[in-house]
Amino acid sequence: MKNKILYSILLFCMSLCLQGMAQTTVRGRVLDEDGKALRSVTVINVSTARQLVATDANGGFSVSVASGTTLLFKLVGYKEKRVSLAAGQTSLTVNLEPSSTEVDEVVVTRGYVKRPKETSTGASNIITAEDIRDIPGSLETLLQGKAPGLNIQVNTGAPGFRGTTQIRGLSTLSTVGSGNESILMPTSPLYVIDGVPLDADRASEMGLQQQGPGVSPLSMIPPEDIESIEILKDAQATSLYGSLAAYGVVIINTKRGNSEVPRINYVNNSFMRTPPKLRETLGGNLERRLKLEQIFGNALTQADIDRIQTTPHLSDSLNAYFNNSTNWQDLYFQTTYNHSHNLSVDGGNSILSYKANIGYYSETGIIRNTGFDRYSTNLRMDYSPDSKLRFTGQVFAQLGKINKGDGSGILQTGVAAGGLSSTLLPPPSFYSVSSEYISSISTNNENGVRLIRPYVEGSYQIIDGLRITSALSYEFVSSTEDTFSPAAANNQFSKVYSFAGRQTQLYSRSSLNYSKTFNESHNIFINLFNEVRNVTRQDFPIQQDRTPNDNFQGPLGYDGFFSRGGGLLDNFKNERALSFALSTSYDYKRKYILDLSYRMDGSSGNGFGNLYTKNPAIGLRWNAHNEEWIKDAAPWLSLGSIRGSWGINVMPNSTLERIYGRYDITGNYNQQQGVGIRFGQIPNPNLKPTTSMQYNFGLDIALFNNRIDFVYDTYYKKVDNLLFDQRLNSTVAFDVLASNDAAIANYGHELALNIRPLRPGGDFSWTFSINGALNKDILLKLPAHYGGQFIKWNVDNLNGQHNIFRVGTATMSNYLFINEGVYSRDEDVPIDPTSGLRYRNSDGTFFQAGDPIWKDMNGDYILDNRDMVRTGNNQPLITGGVQNTFSYKNIQFSIYASYTAKRTILNNALAERMGLMANPFGQGKDNKVVVPLDGYNMWLQPGDVAMYPYAYAYTRSGTIRPFRYDQTLWAENGSYFKINNMILAYNFNRGLLSRYGLERVRVYASLDNVVTFSTYSGPNPENVTSMGRDLSNGYPIPRTYNIGLNLSF
Amino acid sequence: MISYKKYNILGIAAGLCMSITSCSEMYNLPEDKDFISENLNYSDKILETRLGRTTVINRLNADNSTLPIKFEIINPRFGDGKAVTDFLQVFPTYEWIAEYDGKETSLQDIESKRRLVDKPIFEVDSGGRFIMHPSATAERITPRPVDTILKTQDIRFFDLKLTNSGGIRYIKDFQLIPWRELPYEPSSDINPYTGGVAPDPNAPNDPRKRAYILPNISNITGERTNVLLVNNNLKKDVVVYIRPFEGGNGNKLRFKFLNKDSLAINPVEFNETRWDQLVHGFNKEMTSQYVQYDVAYPIPLSSIRTDYAQGDRANVVFQYSRIGWGGVRTVSTFSLAFKIFRKGDWEIVFHFKNDNPKFDND
Repeated sequence: MKNKILYSILLFCMSLCLQGMAQTTVRGRVLDEDGKALRSVTVINVSTARQLVATDANGGFSVSVASGTTLLFKLVGYKEKRVSLAAGQTSLTVNLEPSSTEVDEVVVTRGYVKRPKETSTGASNIITAEDIRDIPGSLETLLQGKAPGLNIQVNTGAPGFRGTTQIRGLSTLSTVGSGNESILMPTSPLYVIDGVPLDADRASEMGLQQQGPGVSPLSMIPPEDIESIEILKDAQATSLYGSLAAYGVVIINTKRGNSEVPRINYVNNSFMRTPPKLRETLGGNLERRLKLEQIFGNALTQADIDRIQTTPHLSDSLNAYFNNSTNWQDLYFQTTYNHSHNLSVDGGNSILSYKANIGYYSETGIIRNTGFDRYSTNLRMDYSPDSKLRFTGQVFAQLGKINKGDGSGILQTGVAAGGLSSTLLPPPSFYSVSSEYISSISTNNENGVRLIRPYVEGSYQIIDGLRITSALSYEFVSSTEDTFSPAAANNQFSKVYSFAGRQTQLYSRSSLNYSKTFNESHNIFINLFNEVRNVTRQDFPIQQDRTPNDNFQGPLGYDGFFSRGGGLLDNFKNERALSFALSTSYDYKRKYILDLSYRMDGSSGNGFGNLYTKNPAIGLRWNAHNEEWIKDAAPWLSLGSIRGSWGINVMPNSTLERIYGRYDITGNYNQQQGVGIRFGQIPNPNLKPTTSMQYNFGLDIALFNNRIDFVYDTYYKKVDNLLFDQRLNSTVAFDVLASNDAAIANYGHELALNIRPLRPGGDFSWTFSINGALNKDILLKLPAHYGGQFIKWNVDNLNGQHNIFRVGTATMSNYLFINEGVYSRDEDVPIDPTSGLRYRNSDGTFFQAGDPIWKDMNGDYILDNRDMVRTGNNQPLITGGVQNTFSYKNIQFSIYASYTAKRTILNNALAERMGLMANPFGQGKDNKVVVPLDGYNMWLQPGDVAMYPYAYAYTRSGTIRPFRYDQTLWAENGSYFKINNMILAYNFNRGLLSRYGLERVRVYASLDNVVTFSTYSGPNPENVTSMGRDLSNGYPIPRTYNIGLNLSF
Repeated sequence: MISYKKYNILGIAAGLCMSITSCSEMYNLPEDKDFISENLNYSDKILETRLGRTTVINRLNADNSTLPIKFEIINPRFGDGKAVTDFLQVFPTYEWIAEYDGKETSLQDIESKRRLVDKPIFEVDSGGRFIMHPSATAERITPRPVDTILKTQDIRFFDLKLTNSGGIRYIKDFQLIPWRELPYEPSSDINPYTGGVAPDPNAPNDPRKRAYILPNISNITGERTNVLLVNNNLKKDVVVYIRPFEGGNGNKLRFKFLNKDSLAINPVEFNETRWDQLVHGFNKEMTSQYVQYDVAYPIPLSSIRTDYAQGDRANVVFQYSRIGWGGVRTVSTFSLAFKIFRKGDWEIVFHFKNDNPKFDND
């Protein structure tokens, strides 16, 4: 690596010397067809692929180049023009023609082969490097709001972890985790990075309480190295990627060498991350006084008042131990200063080109003792001695180090609990500590993910139009975690947790493709390929409780008594997969296009009954702008296409356990060790794969030389044979049958509009893009014997936020008590006309003024579980984004925003906050901080018409539980409009730079997570789980202030 | 011509958009309708209510069906198929409109919190609860036979129709087998089958003996014997009769005390009794024969705890004191927790059967 840099620097110096010779200065003007001056036209030296200058307001330019150089003139909305300088030429006038066929240049990838976008029938979006630059952070965060139908929720601020990504709505009914922490089984799209598929969910399939490092594979890719990203949405586009692509495909291509003279590009980001506004608390004496006032104002008996005397932190205000005002949150949160560096060298010509990218990224978390460091390299070499033979070699190597503190990454339960400690308690010091604090700060947590992936590809053109290609890649990922909890953090006994995981993927693809044009009007393209994959995975955790002392961290010989965990985790995998695919495309003069494709996926993970899954697709397209009669009638139409497609993606549900069952060692029989099946789940070899069938209809329109660009898609996606665990009758020995009898439909509309309102060529340019997607999901069916409804009871009885599935309604709904406000006076509580009794709780406590009004659905004047109602939809209905880029001469200003609308979220953070008043006498762990509640519309005295029940009535917190989680009081509209980024950049004048041997200097300042506009009463409507629950123990999302520098020479 | 074509293209495009956005019906999606479970049921379909009082039975297991469900009693019949409508007759019955809290200061005050409405004697309410109203009297519905032999043709059957937007369910063959009215509690002196006098549990076949209602007594010394009076299985020194009397206005409750000769004891003798807080009654009238109040029936009006009632029974406590042996003042008490369901003029008589209470100082 080092040698390569040295070599590059050497080459670079040599090129400078070369440039010093035989220079002539050429002056000229660039004009449009009417002879008007064009400004901001980029002038490029073709041989070095360098941008030299841009034209001034009069269209004038001046360059110093060697004679005989070819110059390339480029401007958006105009055709490129190449001009070769004659020997001794010093002046030049260039006329640019408006371009009408710029779409030809846009290339998309289908089935690992590049195709013109004009002939593609599927729905896709392209995001270029320019859309995601200037912001430090993970790749997925940068894609938010940039493509319609790609719903990214940045719902954790944990460094190195990822939020959720969905393409075109909901594709699963499965949840992982339990209670408040349950999340949807992640259904991320398939990422194909430089031709190799990557399963982005592999780190998150264990839910929020995952084991191991949990680093998102997408956090390991430096965004600076990315050339383009393509998002494939409909089944025609994805079916060629087979069963892995059921949730959509995101194709990422990294940069490659394309400059004859080596270029060195350096990007630096120095950024500050600040925690969001933390919970307001009442400190010190305010806390004590509020608790005392609360007791005096609400005590029902003298005994309650007397209890103050036995509660030291209330009565003993002079005791130094209880006479503090500690800001606990401040002990856990911090503002951090971080930096990232990315250095790339590339060069080469059409025969040999190379690229090397080295990246370093370091981020310290806003929660102390967390952070993420990434080291990455990506080396690539392309060799093509003639037009027939092509050869590519590439090596990715990435090292990620993550520190999760004592949390599980996304969840920081210890920090959340510690932050709620009473402010009266003394801060951690030499003499006193809190175990939560010690646990968060002193837990020694080291995680590492090491990835290496070599990739080679060879290609040979046998006869004209027929090309054979073969690619091979092997990926090896090692994940380790070592956690040492000191004794003070863990009930006086130190603890060790260790995790070792290994994943490999051997991937090979061979393809044969043929393209041919007949009679200059009929084009056919055939692509036949197969893929072979062998994916293995095994994870071993081990946990030793009660290790000898803090100083002895290993190696540990151990008695099994205090050994917890250990052994192989059940995500063990050794899958062999074989796929065959055929894709054909026919078009007539690029006007009428027909795509047909078929793919078969076989996997050792499929059930015996369904060894091969079949993925067919068909697509049609009409390019109206290529019709002669439209060219005549509507010359302003740069592009007008209608697309339609249908396709199926089939995804296996089987795992070894679901097919074969799980076997345990079960006692002895006749001195023989017996092995018997575990009765939890009955083996189901006939488990069907989930079938995702999709229709898509699209419209592409570009007007006035592409100054207005409009893409519309509508789709209907039916996800059938969804995995659904059926509870079996108690007369059967087994508990659960993994069955296939559930289905969801998603349908919706996507719109993207791109406008360049100003005439190209001016000093001032403005690009405005807006996109939006409306997605509705409906549950189509459930196993027949449920009769159309299934309630997933939350086992966590206290929180009890249940989920309900009902056919014909939005899939992910909550099952809650309906809250209709607060009883203003005792008389407002309804009376049972028959018995004369007031509406009451199931334990017989009558409701009174200040209690919440819960709707009595079954009319028995008793509140119990039978009064719950299906309500809300925790999946967003509308998502999208807005991008604005202004540039004036060398200054560029961009503002990127995203939005989500119509989503129910449960504000559990507020529920917890209001519940803090439940027990003013609490001691030990129950001695909680108090928060100001003045800002909330809360009932305080009879006659108040309020939204929130009376929080200070601690005598009712045990019986009525006014702030119970399972009520719609916490169900709020999760719509938000977020300004993701604001970027101000300045490009230095090239003339000035060339004096210092620099090609380009760009400085910029950017903000990330700028501001979120929302009616939501909690901290952040985005920082919620995929089931729409605002966890108070989640990782808050920081705001980033960044200053960056991009140098090229 | 050219401009016309322009609009034509725009028109086609716009038309296509419109046609696509407006037809999500073509996806043939299932309707959003209520859930009504196949397992919707009642845990017990034999309803053995007592006539003459309010009975609420809630045995619905809705199996999380979407509420509200419309409940309808259909097909009422006797076991032999003969139609029956007596238990669905409409009569006035009380309905609470405000909460009775025991702090009302007049009968009008109490009556303003409830009103008479016309309701069927037996109904199913909007929540699926079966309610037998106190308007169900023996004259209107024949209770189960006196001879205790239950024949199918005497049993009232009915079916229940449950409807919500998810569909209709029928739950069939509910049986309504009412018990004979018992106008008060404790009712240990009434035979629940015949309504006549209950026999003595110690000698069930001796027609000369009968069962009694027994009050709680404490520390009452007999005048003649000078030993404490007792109430137990074998010896019953104080018994209670709850019986109607003539000559009231239909809202009276009277307490009377009889000595062993069945002569009235002057209530003033029970000198420690809090006569004003004895029952939730008004216009106290105290004579040498009795104490009488104007009250609202039923007693108690609801099952909440008030100054006059504990749990769901009214509680009356009578006390007197005297100087006992050694010059110590002793307090003697007798009390009764009771309910009276039927409106009328009732008297509660405490009969010191075997010996009079001793009021004199020792």
